[in-house]
Amino acid sequence: MMDSIFVEYLSRFFEYTVFVYGTTLLVFYALLAILSFLNIRLFLKKESYTDYSVIVASPLAPGISVIAPAFNESITIVQNVRSLLTLDYPNYEIIIINDGSTDDTLEKLVNEFNLVKVDYAYDVKIKSKPVRGVYKSLNDAYTKLVVVDKENGKSKADASNAGINVCSKPYFVCTDVDCILHEHTLQKLIKPVMEEDEFRVIAVGATLRLSNSCEFDQGVITKIRAPRPLLARFQEMEYIRAFVLGKMGWSYINAVPNVSGGLGLFDKDVAIRAGGYDPASFGEDMELMLRMNRYTAENKIKSAVKYIPLTLCWTEGPSTLKIFMRQRTRWGRGLIQLMVTHRKLFFNSTYGRVGMLTYPYNFFFELLAPVIEFIGIIYYIIIAYLDQVNWPYAIILLVFVYTYSVMISTLAVLWDQLTFQYYKSWGDVIRICAMVFVEMLLYHPLIVIFALRGYYFYLTNRKHSWGNMQRQGFKKAEGSDNKPATAS
Amino acid sequence: MWSDLTNLLYQAYEQYSFLPLFIEIALFFIFIAIFATIFAYGVILFRRWKGYVHDKRMKFIRPKVEEMITEQVLINENLEQIPVEEIEFDQAAINDKIFKKPWVRQVVIDILIQYRKNFRGEVGELLRKLYIDMNLTKDSFEKMKSLKWERKIKAVVELTQMDVQISDVTILPLTNSTNPSLRAAARNAYIQLSKNEPFKFFDVATEPILPWDQLELFRIITTTKDIAIPNFSRWVSYSTNKSVVSFCLKLIAHYDQQTAIPAVMDLLNNKDHYFRANAINCLGKLGAEAAEDRLTKIYATQPIHCQLEILKALGRIASGNNLEFLKNEFLFSSNFDVRMAAARSIIKHNTPASRAMVEDLRATTYEENKLIISHCLNPLIKH
Repeated sequence: MMDSIFVEYLSRFFEYTVFVYGTTLLVFYALLAILSFLNIRLFLKKESYTDYSVIVASPLAPGISVIAPAFNESITIVQNVRSLLTLDYPNYEIIIINDGSTDDTLEKLVNEFNLVKVDYAYDVKIKSKPVRGVYKSLNDAYTKLVVVDKENGKSKADASNAGINVCSKPYFVCTDVDCILHEHTLQKLIKPVMEEDEFRVIAVGATLRLSNSCEFDQGVITKIRAPRPLLARFQEMEYIRAFVLGKMGWSYINAVPNVSGGLGLFDKDVAIRAGGYDPASFGEDMELMLRMNRYTAENKIKSAVKYIPLTLCWTEGPSTLKIFMRQRTRWGRGLIQLMVTHRKLFFNSTYGRVGMLTYPYNFFFELLAPVIEFIGIIYYIIIAYLDQVNWPYAIILLVFVYTYSVMISTLAVLWDQLTFQYYKSWGDVIRICAMVFVEMLLYHPLIVIFALRGYYFYLTNRKHSWGNMQRQGFKKAEGSDNKPATAS
Repeated sequence: MWSDLTNLLYQAYEQYSFLPLFIEIALFFIFIAIFATIFAYGVILFRRWKGYVHDKRMKFIRPKVEEMITEQVLINENLEQIPVEEIEFDQAAINDKIFKKPWVRQVVIDILIQYRKNFRGEVGELLRKLYIDMNLTKDSFEKMKSLKWERKIKAVVELTQMDVQISDVTILPLTNSTNPSLRAAARNAYIQLSKNEPFKFFDVATEPILPWDQLELFRIITTTKDIAIPNFSRWVSYSTNKSVVSFCLKLIAHYDQQTAIPAVMDLLNNKDHYFRANAINCLGKLGAEAAEDRLTKIYATQPIHCQLEILKALGRIASGNNLEFLKNEFLFSSNFDVRMAAARSIIKHNTPASRAMVEDLRATTYEENKLIISHCLNPLIKH
């Protein structure tokens, strides 16, 4: 008798807790949607009269180093570097880090850009695997290019750290060598830094999109299209929601949790003082951001992390389930690792909004969400088996969650359309909108499973292999002469 | 039918009020979510349709406006024959009823501004005359009255581009607006339009000149014709606005205002080390030999970035008086960046004495320092 009362109370407690948890999460999403809308509106107003040509011709433009690590990128490396050389900014350098490639990535760079090894005084400000050499071009057309050859550090973080040690400008943009950047990326990313007076802007991020079905010519994007493969299209939808709706909302209240590893501009001085990227971390981008925030808070520097809603970077998303699983497992593992490492921040007012809002939000609604969802499903199965489900109510609750998630994703698409109509055809818009309705049923379960897998690997201390993503290369624009790059 | 519907809704409401709270909340949110989703799709459709209509309208109107401007201005037969003020436009053409619509008038303004950026001289003046004769100034001044700051900015930009005078009473208060964007636009306009005292707002500026705004201001000041360049040391000495002082330091260096050296040197006592670093940088660019002793004297008490600026400045001044100082820093500093900056500055002297010193250091110093010298001597490495 006592047992059944206890079980009933327990199940009642569980149900109410989950309901309150879920509703709070949905309220957060609604608030983020409102904040991101306000932020986007403000951005668009400013953008309508901003003349970026001023910075392109100005001697006052701050210097920016573009850091792009490369590991076994022989197939696309030349095209990728050419793409980076098209960036329109008066004061920048490109640092390619050959992270101990076992293919002919370095040889291709040396031959294509007429590089020679130089006597370079390399100062280790942040630890990384040893640097074997630094290369510069004999051709005046490539004076901006620096190639660093180093031993493989088994992580992008290690390679990026070597790049930071070499960079000579006060700001650096971290990207992946296979990412295609918009030619105005540097102008757009530096503006939030230069128009802030009250805070020191330590990082700026922008939206990423998938390049899987886009067309390119000489490393420059010529046609933006929504990805055709279903998996990539789900990811595109997820990116739009995360960047345009999520991060723009957080940016409005200066509580951005992280700047994506695919594209981000950072204050070099603060990044070095914070210790650079952690090669042992599985979520090195978010980890660095958190550490930079910690550093500024501990040193009483009023800092800010900004986001802009423009898509400035196109990256190739995982095209097979296996690669996708590996990526998301690593993200899950990175998140739990980060939360454990920086647990000191949890509701710690010393760290301002990061301690009181960003960290707790990520703990409750990013880290715990897959766990709670999983327990919820198990609980549902058990009570269904015991025939204790009130089906009309259960269906109402399911419809509630479903319609709400559809609404949030639709708002993300709307905000994206308000910002800039990247998709020129109706077909692309419809393709993305269709994802909104099936994402929860097909894609979301995968995210939950892979995140849990990441947590499990972390808790059991499973050895992680980084693997190498098979590049599909870029689809060439019709009529262009460049050879299409295809993965061997 | 209405009564059936009312009954149904009433029954639904009655049943709703008997439901558990969490189901009531869920139903409420379902209703909100469905409504918001439909609304969002409606807006997406509307926006795309609006974009389509806008493109179509522009495709129609743009050639007409361009044709009118070409005929009235670019191929005007009176151009260079009689003074611009005396040229008369074809009234029928410029008063065509199509140019009465507000959205078309805005297109005309935008295209005129675009053209004026590309044409100077008499053509530029005639474009301005067309703007005035079509009474487009009225449209711009109407926008100035708007409560929306972005419309005010648009007006300020239009009037500035068309070189139409805005009274000081109107524009000067805007240079201290709390809205940074409006403030910047007003300052740019003031410098371009004020004939007597274009830099007056430096005196009254209480709000900062942001680095982004400095880009445009710098461009305007350094490219606008007939602008009287003052001695910027005046603000370096007296302004309490840090951003004004730091901007003036850049202008002093750009215009190589040697007379400003004493005022800049006074900033070396400033408590703000970022400020001091800017002043040292400026002294270096001015090649201020008179400041060398002072710089070496304060060197030891400065934070690292000021020290690096001092080393850089000594290299720019390159008088040769401080080669030994630079050599000592290169040999004995434990900081890599300091050694690098010292080596660069020695090399930058490029005198027989400095070259001999470099050779001597190369022969006698340890491996890492040798590498630093090789690095600095390599023409392929710029930094």
